[in-house]
Amino acid sequence: MKRFFNKTWFFALSVALLVGCYPAGPDYVEDLDVVYTSFNKDFDFQSKSTYSLPDKIVIDVQIDKNGDTTIVYMKDKYAQQYLGTIDSNLQGFGWTKVDIDKKPSVVVTPAAIETTNFYYSYWYDWWYGGWYPGWGWYYPPYYSVSSYKTGTFIITMADPNEDNPINKSKAAWIVAMNGLLGSNDQSRAVKGINQAFTQSPYLKIN
Amino acid sequence: MKKILLAACVLCLGATGLVNAQGNTVTTVTYSIAFPSADLKDYIGKTSFRGVNLDFQKMVQDNIGVGLSVGWNVFYQDMGNATYTIDNISLTGKQYRYSNHIPVLMSSTFQLKPGDSMNPYVGLGAGVTYSLRNTDMNLYTLEQDAWNFTVQPAVGVLIEASDVTRVNISARYNHGFKAGNELKNAQSYFSLNLGFTFGD
Repeated sequence: MKRFFNKTWFFALSVALLVGCYPAGPDYVEDLDVVYTSFNKDFDFQSKSTYSLPDKIVIDVQIDKNGDTTIVYMKDKYAQQYLGTIDSNLQGFGWTKVDIDKKPSVVVTPAAIETTNFYYSYWYDWWYGGWYPGWGWYYPPYYSVSSYKTGTFIITMADPNEDNPINKSKAAWIVAMNGLLGSNDQSRAVKGINQAFTQSPYLKIN
Repeated sequence: MKKILLAACVLCLGATGLVNAQGNTVTTVTYSIAFPSADLKDYIGKTSFRGVNLDFQKMVQDNIGVGLSVGWNVFYQDMGNATYTIDNISLTGKQYRYSNHIPVLMSSTFQLKPGDSMNPYVGLGAGVTYSLRNTDMNLYTLEQDAWNFTVQPAVGVLIEASDVTRVNISARYNHGFKAGNELKNAQSYFSLNLGFTFGD
């Protein structure tokens, strides 16, 4: 009996040692950052040349019990840096920025998901719906909006001039960056935006 | 992880009790370093320094033992920051890969010089290996597993350390044949094992 316990403890210790040195994975929160991009294979990026971009980034839409809505925007000091990064990447790829009333080839709509995810298309439909009555965009079947988590930064590119029976444009390009907005370290989100363009060479039109 | 730990503990304690209930038995515990091959090597190229084997054998003759062999080898690789593209989707981030292998085998050994202080042996095991592969990015994991029918040839040597204890050095090749739909290829690796054999 004594020997049984000696051996048992010896083996248990061996297993415990192995468990104790089980590989740990990520060490820092930055190690969890991911940048996802996808594009519509039927979309002809090369035939486009102009884009429009809002001057604010929406982070939430709050709806009270009377149905009144309040749009919540990202603080300007963050938003302007991110919008500027998107601008410089698009222009580096040969795109020309125009106002929304100048009939851009595409609209580019960034957002950050602070708490919920239902508002995103709602707000941007409103933003350019004013110039393209009844228009908005929808997600192609290869991407699900339910993939968005709190702290996700999203960029969608769509052609508002697309003609189809449901008055909705299929998103041509989608970016979702997880984990980049959890801190006030802006460089992580900027790096993520740059990476989104780096891994999307099909956007280059020059 | 919990599944693996539970399985390992149950196997370890259960098998210890089973073999100790009988006489004329030898028990071996070895630390295992493993080298991936074939599909496993494509997935994780790095050597595993996390492994353990437990062997319980009844000596049916002076030089022939039969019994149970269980083990656990963990392969791990931090793939660093990289971009993975499939069709029209690209994903960039750090990827962490884990591959756990738990063989549970009926085993036999044939000792070439029983009684000598240096006693070489050959062995063969057959049974199943539970293979569990996790690919982690961000907070997501892709988990794939398989129960691979396994054969495990081995060669080794026992070096006398005391009346009832011998140093055990062995090399094994664990070949888990293709099984199931999740891991689409055979899972195999070589291992070098160093430890002790206790027994009458």
